[in-house]
Amino acid sequence: MSGPLHTPLCDKLGIEYPVVAFTHCKDVAVAVINAGGFAVLGEAMHTPDEIAADIKWIRDRIGGKPFGIDLVLPASVPESKTVDELLAMIPQAHRDFEQHIKQKYNVPDPKVAPNLHQWGGLDQKRALAQLEVIFDERVPVFASGLGSPAFLLKRAHELNMQVWGLVGKPRQAKKQITAGTNVIIAQGYDAAGHTGNIGTFSIVPQVVDQARGTGVPVLAAGGVTTGRHLAAALALGADGVWTGSLWLASRESDVNLPLKERLIEAETDDTMYSNCISGYTMRTTRCPWHDEWLAPGAPEPLKPPLQMMLSSNYIQGSLDYQRKDLMTEAAGQGIHYVTEMKPARQILSDIVEEALDVFDRFASA
Amino acid sequence: MSSIDSPAPDSQNAADALQPALEGLDFVSGFAPEMQGRQAECDGGAPIVGTKYAGRQDFVGKLTGYYRDYGKYAWRWYLLAELTVKPQGYLHQSVWCDADSLFLDDMSSQQPK
Repeated sequence: MSGPLHTPLCDKLGIEYPVVAFTHCKDVAVAVINAGGFAVLGEAMHTPDEIAADIKWIRDRIGGKPFGIDLVLPASVPESKTVDELLAMIPQAHRDFEQHIKQKYNVPDPKVAPNLHQWGGLDQKRALAQLEVIFDERVPVFASGLGSPAFLLKRAHELNMQVWGLVGKPRQAKKQITAGTNVIIAQGYDAAGHTGNIGTFSIVPQVVDQARGTGVPVLAAGGVTTGRHLAAALALGADGVWTGSLWLASRESDVNLPLKERLIEAETDDTMYSNCISGYTMRTTRCPWHDEWLAPGAPEPLKPPLQMMLSSNYIQGSLDYQRKDLMTEAAGQGIHYVTEMKPARQILSDIVEEALDVFDRFASA
Repeated sequence: MSSIDSPAPDSQNAADALQPALEGLDFVSGFAPEMQGRQAECDGGAPIVGTKYAGRQDFVGKLTGYYRDYGKYAWRWYLLAELTVKPQGYLHQSVWCDADSLFLDDMSSQQPK
């Protein structure tokens, strides 16, 4: 296949369209891969056994096509403390504020309270155990969603695996390209979840400049939800796009129905870049929890992981009782264009068609 | 607000003394004198406990020279202390940083490894 959407990334992966779905849902990943795109499954929360099972599940459904697994490698780690020590560090004023929100919005108790004591070990040891499965399974693409994957490149390449790195700053891209990372994902501030502070339109060309002449493809990430975004990313010099929010409300997505409705209703300014959920700044859809923590007189959000300990009951309660009015989810600024609950195949097809229309329009001008 | 120091050996002798106790653990400790005292920035971050998400955190400080190597790939981590930039509310006075996420201020193009 040739044409304006056929980029070196397509050849590198053997795919039809330079669209990568980042998803936590296996069904979405399989649907996108079988429709001609590429998918990377986020497995950061999963145990090694769960990761192995998910890999087998995907392989059984994609007929030998390539796929990717994403893990969150830590990049900085303070000395660890026990959960009980951490809980003791939450000030009473913050606990009182949580109760105030709970009463004001009639937030239900979770059906099963989050077991904070099972949260531990999000450190190097856990990451290394997860990585062993990735290597054992010879996963075609390993993507690092946060920390640098440079330390594992030699082993991955010996196993004929590609390693991708997601960056929020041009200097991170330069370092990863020099180390031998196969694909760089340049993620802008528009994106869901953790981001750098540089917008997608600014970071993508800078990372493309860093990659020029190296043969390393660059993916544009952050706010990409239409074919016009795809065309613009290619015009900026990217070889494809990395998309996340686009798939959250898809037919195959395992996000619960009220939350899908909330995402479909959400506008760009309904996404908030705040540290009130976890203590880290991250982009999520606005909910009463945000409103209260941003209101005058609210306490300052606590550091990680204390703030997450404080918000966990609210979040779990909203999910357990399908309280759409309370729910929140990581979503990027492109959420404005997520307006229907469509099959993943159609979402991909719509993006491709729209991007081709853009190029046709320019070609005929 | 209290401050919590990460336990860093204050001398090479102390580091050596710790070594037997670390046998069987998941990392090997060491000291790189050429790194000691160098100003560095860390593009840090970590998974967010209890979620599928991650968060970024930036630090600036001085490398102590102490490092830890994890796993069979020698995944190296350096101890960054005397932090002049750290996230709001960060309670510690030092942080372990992945070597590939560190940027030396005096030689920005050089890999700290």
